[in-house]
Amino acid sequence: MSEFALEVQNLVKIYSARSKPPIRAVDGMSFSVPRGIIFGLLGPNGAGKSTLLRILTTLSRPTEGAARILGFDVVRKPLEVRRRIASVIQETAAELFLSARDNLLTYARFQGLDRATGVRRAEALMREFQLTDDADRKVQDLSGGFRRRVQVAKVFLVETPVVFLDEFSTGMDPILKRQVMNLLRAEARKGRTIVLTTQILSEAEELCDDILIMDKGKQVARGDLNTLKLLSQGVFEVAMTFDRLPHGMEAELASLSPLRSSIDANSIEVAFKAEEGRALEVVTDLARNRRVLHVEVRGASLEDIFLELTTVGGQPR
Amino acid sequence: MSALGAVFYREAKIRSTNLTFIFWDLFYPLCYMLVFGVGVNAALGAPAAAGGVDYNAFFLGGVLAMASFGIAANTSWSFFLDRDNGIFYEMLTYPLSRPEYLLGKVLFNMMIAVLQAAITLGLGRVMFHIHVRWEMLPLLFLGMAVGTAGWFFFYAIFALRIRRNDVFNSVTSVFYFVFLFASSMFYPLDPLPVWFRRAALVNPITWQIDWLRYSSIGIGQPHRVALEAAAFVLFALACFAYAVRCLQRQE
Repeated sequence: MSEFALEVQNLVKIYSARSKPPIRAVDGMSFSVPRGIIFGLLGPNGAGKSTLLRILTTLSRPTEGAARILGFDVVRKPLEVRRRIASVIQETAAELFLSARDNLLTYARFQGLDRATGVRRAEALMREFQLTDDADRKVQDLSGGFRRRVQVAKVFLVETPVVFLDEFSTGMDPILKRQVMNLLRAEARKGRTIVLTTQILSEAEELCDDILIMDKGKQVARGDLNTLKLLSQGVFEVAMTFDRLPHGMEAELASLSPLRSSIDANSIEVAFKAEEGRALEVVTDLARNRRVLHVEVRGASLEDIFLELTTVGGQPR
Repeated sequence: MSALGAVFYREAKIRSTNLTFIFWDLFYPLCYMLVFGVGVNAALGAPAAAGGVDYNAFFLGGVLAMASFGIAANTSWSFFLDRDNGIFYEMLTYPLSRPEYLLGKVLFNMMIAVLQAAITLGLGRVMFHIHVRWEMLPLLFLGMAVGTAGWFFFYAIFALRIRRNDVFNSVTSVFYFVFLFASSMFYPLDPLPVWFRRAALVNPITWQIDWLRYSSIGIGQPHRVALEAAAFVLFALACFAYAVRCLQRQE
C-alpha cells in the first residue's frame, strides 16, 4: 500500500471542442499528498481545480499522465478508488425527492454500511448538522443551506480514507461552517486525508496543513502556510480606521501600487510590497494630519500570496 | 449490500415517494386496453386480427410492449433530473461500476414491468375474457423484463449523449411515433404494404411484441418468435454495451 494518499504525475487534461481551440485545463501537474492531512487546492476561477478533482474522483479521464489514490490508479482501478473515497462536488448534489434521512440512508447503502450502522450514524449526524427537525422533509423543500448540510453530512457517515470537498462551505452559515471545520480536523486526526478546494482563503489558511496554489492548470506554489508566506516576504497588510474618510484616499492608496486595497466607510485595508522600514513610513504618511482610531500592520496573508502569484497589477495573469 | 442492491433501493425509494406514478405504471396498459382496445374492438370488430382472436386479445402483447417501452423512456429521463440536481455526477463517484449503475437503475423497473404484466393478464382475463396461456407465463415475464431493460439501455444512450432535455423529449417523441406505429403493435402485418412490413420486421419492438404475443395468447410461429427473441436479446446487449461506454465518457 502506498505511503501517499494521492500521487499525481505529469497530469494533463485537454478539453477539445469543435470550432474552438483546445483548453489545457490541467497542464502537467505532479505532486503527492501524505496521508492524514488536510490538503488545500487553491486557485482562481478556471485554474483547473475542479477538473483535477474530477480526475481524482474518477469522474473524468486524464489526457496524459497518471493519478493514484492510495496506490490505485484512477483510470485502471476506478472501482478500487471509489471504494476509498467520499466526495462532495461543487453543486448542491442531493436526492431532491427523498427526505434528509433517506438521503443519508441511501448513501449509507451505496457505501456498504449495514442498516443498523447506517441508521445510527445518520441519526447522530442529523443531530450534529441540526437536521433532526427536518429529517422527514423532502430535500426539494429545504433551503439551499440545508441541502448543503445534507450533502456534506454524507462524508462523515462513512470512514473512507480519502475525502474530496469542492467548495464545501458554500451556502453554510458561519456557525455550521466552524462546526464542519472542527469535524474535518477531527477526521484528519483520525487518519483520513481531506482534499479540499476553496475560494475562501481564510478558510484554507485556518484549516489546511498543506496548500497547493494552481493557475491555468499549473502548480504555482506548494507548501504549508509558513512556507508559502516566505514566498511573499515584504508584503504587508495595513488596516486603518479614521474618524472620517480622508479626502483623496483612493488616489493615495493607488499610488502605493497595492496588491489589493479596499475602502469601507471610514476604514481602509491595503496590501502592498515594501521593505520593512518603508511599511512604517507608509503608515505614518497615511496617518499624517488625520485622526486615526485604529491601525494594524500585518505580514502577508494567504490572500496576499495568492494574489501575488496569480495576478499582475490586480489583473489575472 | 451489493452495489446493484443499493441502486435498486434508491430507485425504489424515489419511486415510492410518488404513489400516483406507481399506480399509473401498474395499471396503464390495462387503461389503454380499456379505452383503445375496447374502442377498436367495438368499432371494427376483429377484422384482421391474426389467429382468429378478438382485438383485445391481439392488442394484449402490443400494449405490454408499449408499457415496457414507456417505462424505459421515463426511467432514462431521470438522467436529466439527476444531472440537474447534481446527484448524477456524485453517484458516479460512489463505489459501483458503470455497468452496475445502469443495471441497478433498470432492475426496479423490470420488476414493475413484470408486475404490470401480471396485473394486465389477470384483469385482461377477467374483464375481456382473454384466453391467456398461463403455462407460458415465465417466458412472458422474461420478455417484459428483457424488453424493459433493452429499451432502457437504448434510451439511456440518448439521455447520456444529449445534454438538453427539450432535445431529448423531441427525440423520444419521434421514437414513440416510429417504433410504435411501424410495428405489429396495433395491427397484424400481413395485410400491410410490403415496404411497411419490411420496416416493421426490422423494428426491435416488433420482435418484442411477437415474443409477448406468443407467450401470452399463443399466436405466432415458435421458430420465428425464437429468432426474434434472440435478435431482441442481442439488440439489448448491444445497447447495454454502448450505454456503458456513454456513461464512461460522462465528464
